[in-house]
Amino acid sequence: MNDSSQDSSRKTAPEDTRRFLEDLERVWANPRGLGALTIVNHTTVGLRFMLTGMAFFLVGGVLAMLIRSQLAFPGQNFMAPEIYNQVVTMHGTVMMFLFAIPILEGLAIYMIPKMIGARDLVCPRLSAFGYWCYLFGGLILLSSLFMEMAPSSGWFMYTPLSSKVYSPGLGSDFWLLGITFVEISALSAGVELVVSILRTRTQGMALHKMPLFAWYILAMAMMIVVGFPPLILGSVLLELERAVGMPFFDVAGGGDPILWQHLFWLFGHPEVYIIFLPGAGIVSTLIPVFAGRPIVGYGWAVFAVITTGFISFGLWVHHMFTVGMPQLAQTFFSAASMLVAVPTGIQIFLWLATLWLGKPRLQVPMLWIFGFLFVFVLGGLTGVMLALVPFNWQVHDTHFVVAHMHYVLVGGMFFPLIGGLYYWLPLFSGRMPSQTLGKWGFWLTFLGFNGTFLIMHWTGLLGMPRRVYTYGADEGWQLFNLISSVSSFLMAMGIAMILVDIMLHFRFGKPARQNPWNADTLEWATSMPPSPYNFVSLPKVETRHPLWEYPQLPRTIAEGRHGLAAAFHGRREIWGTDPLTGKLREVIHIPTNSWWPLFAALALAVVCISLLLRWYPLAGIAVLVAAGFLLRWSWENGAHPRAAPDTREQPGNPPLHSRTLDGPGVWTMAVALLANGAFFLSLLFGWFYLWTISPEWSMPPESPLSLTLLVLAGLASSAGWLWLERCVRRLRRRQGAGLAKGLYMISALGAVQLGLLVWVLVLAELDVTATAHDAVLMVSLVYVMLHTGFGAVLTLLQGLRVGYGYVGVEAPLEPVVVRLLWRYNLGVYWIVVVSLAVLPRMIGGTT
Amino acid sequence: MRQILWTHPINLVVGLTLWSVWFVAMYGGLSVVCAIAPPDPEQGPLTLLNAGLALLTLITVAFLAWLAWKCFHASQQTTMRAAHFCAIVSAGLYLASMVAVLFVGVPVLGLSPCV
Repeated sequence: MNDSSQDSSRKTAPEDTRRFLEDLERVWANPRGLGALTIVNHTTVGLRFMLTGMAFFLVGGVLAMLIRSQLAFPGQNFMAPEIYNQVVTMHGTVMMFLFAIPILEGLAIYMIPKMIGARDLVCPRLSAFGYWCYLFGGLILLSSLFMEMAPSSGWFMYTPLSSKVYSPGLGSDFWLLGITFVEISALSAGVELVVSILRTRTQGMALHKMPLFAWYILAMAMMIVVGFPPLILGSVLLELERAVGMPFFDVAGGGDPILWQHLFWLFGHPEVYIIFLPGAGIVSTLIPVFAGRPIVGYGWAVFAVITTGFISFGLWVHHMFTVGMPQLAQTFFSAASMLVAVPTGIQIFLWLATLWLGKPRLQVPMLWIFGFLFVFVLGGLTGVMLALVPFNWQVHDTHFVVAHMHYVLVGGMFFPLIGGLYYWLPLFSGRMPSQTLGKWGFWLTFLGFNGTFLIMHWTGLLGMPRRVYTYGADEGWQLFNLISSVSSFLMAMGIAMILVDIMLHFRFGKPARQNPWNADTLEWATSMPPSPYNFVSLPKVETRHPLWEYPQLPRTIAEGRHGLAAAFHGRREIWGTDPLTGKLREVIHIPTNSWWPLFAALALAVVCISLLLRWYPLAGIAVLVAAGFLLRWSWENGAHPRAAPDTREQPGNPPLHSRTLDGPGVWTMAVALLANGAFFLSLLFGWFYLWTISPEWSMPPESPLSLTLLVLAGLASSAGWLWLERCVRRLRRRQGAGLAKGLYMISALGAVQLGLLVWVLVLAELDVTATAHDAVLMVSLVYVMLHTGFGAVLTLLQGLRVGYGYVGVEAPLEPVVVRLLWRYNLGVYWIVVVSLAVLPRMIGGTT
Repeated sequence: MRQILWTHPINLVVGLTLWSVWFVAMYGGLSVVCAIAPPDPEQGPLTLLNAGLALLTLITVAFLAWLAWKCFHASQQTTMRAAHFCAIVSAGLYLASMVAVLFVGVPVLGLSPCV
């Protein structure tokens, strides 16, 4: 911030300022009418995520009320068992996949650029694409409920219950395809949040000066990137089993249903923390503001966030303690489950210490934070109880677990979310909510929640199993269930009160003054509600509390006295900064509004629906159309005139990112490949798991894959990769001669590899419906073939772009991005060859 | 150059990544050996498998302790605030990873591996 005084002393003539603001408005304008569907701006997309998430929450809430109505009295026939199963499954699915994660992503998408002093996220079209995938996937999934063919195997879809034999309808397919579609959205958000936080913070905002909320979102986004792919793989495999008959989870065919549990919980347990961490981030943002002092132990908080993120991946088997495994293995997971409480405890003590040392103001947002502290601590304590194996065995699959889960998820996510909603409401609307309605909403929700779920611990301890549609009058559970049901309606009234308050405040709320809560972070330096570009100019920030130390900042930003105060060039610009120090590295010009994200998502929706209806030719055509849209979208990047209408650089500014060798595209590709790697490692895990554990595993004595052809294909790939490395080295030395020809040849080598792999597949004559072995080989080969083809097509496009002048010595970034893909493809390819073709030859198969 | 190595932000994730790899190796190794060649339950915890797991645990603990020390040392040397922050938090994370390895690994000393 020190230099911002220097910046802020910069004087511009009123006419210049007026023209600059007009340019800025024009460049960042959001179209209206049908054109609004093309908006990619993070503020709009974030709001869309949150509003859609809220709508799905209401659906999930109605389903919860139906469940509680059914269980209010013993022996009720309010719902038939098959409908009850659908309602229970959809309640969990909607709340976890369509509400909790998307609404938090939406909040992060909306808030992160504002907090780190950027005008937008780094890949705005990816945000928009993610939103459309979420909306269409959610609607497809939800439509099953209205057609009475919703999934009914529980939100975790355990096999064999979810397999074709026991779930012959389309319910499981709706779940598998719909959720996979929605998860594209989660991964999109995860990738771009990571890159935005690391590479687009405003000038001077070093890693240790970043708002704590950004640390929490960084951890959440990284966890999404690594945690979601195992479930995507599991869903793909289960759908293949259901649609084609590949027996991945069928013991008779050499599969194993426990593999599904591993893949599901490899995602499922981290997901609890993916949901909790943004909630904790809201708490860490609000408590210092309402305590009027910086948080105690910023470094400890960062330590706790990172530790939680990692250790939460080591707990997945504690959901599976009853499936039968060695006691020693159980102790590993039991110990890890206890360990994860330590970083959570550290955060709680930091929050308490901050409140203790500050002067807390008990306003509505803080009520929710206190509610969070009470509810979440109780949920954490029962979590430690459940980490103990003998206790876990006793209460497994009872209402005790349901109570624990709701204390953790509602306490850890919903309470902070509503607190955050009340806190940021003036930013969203420019108006203040009602204190009276807000307090009523809190107390009704708080009392209703505890009345519903505290009681459920007892019903669980008394032995009531979860997911039963009714119970007998002689079980002794009726009073507890009645209290739970009545309380759940009290909670619903509280939530209705909050919704009424929010709706009314848009019309009747008092206009909010600038920075109404006296907060310290940059989002309050924007206008209320914010403009599409957030900041007229981007300030240099070298403190954790910019608005406390420089309260004049909103004014100087609005007067255009800081960085990037020019828009005549027609580019949407943000800073690209060093991840550690926050020093300026480049000016990132980001893409503008576009139909491509919507079109691509629509094509994928057609794929999803065609697969549901088993119209495979249409699905194939839709895949090609989606690929076409995505590639056309990629064509408009970098030095393309639509991405950078004017390539002149401003004096004194760093270069445009498309003119460098380390722009955000490299980072985006790297993080996307991390997600891809998690998918691949899950597949590899599945291969070795079935090989060693599956009771009926059958492997031919001789591998059906031709090693000679595989090695030849690998050599073609290796040659292509080496050539691409050479091209990039030459670009680094500003030597562009023969670049297009080189790229065409590399693409041809990719095509050769692909052709050889097709040959391998044809020669192998795999019987994919007979054995899990052949089915895994098929999926693995298709995986490497898709990557090979993708690498070849992207390289071919690079060659074409050289011809158009979009790639070359002056714009060398894109070949560096494609090189990363080739490196990944090559590494994965040789691992596949060794695992699937070499090791079976060395160790020998069984029949 | 050496100082940059220990103050680099990558250290923030290396310790717990090592913990994760160690964790997967322990669970995976145990599961594979129990599936292929389980030791006699009569042997109790005194098996080659437990010895191997304990050895892996000790090596990992020693390595993490060394990494923690290097980062702590670098944090005292650097004058750059961002680098100091990364180094000191990383030292704490290496230490936490070490404690996590010990805590999760201790049952190897007392339990039969495949029962």
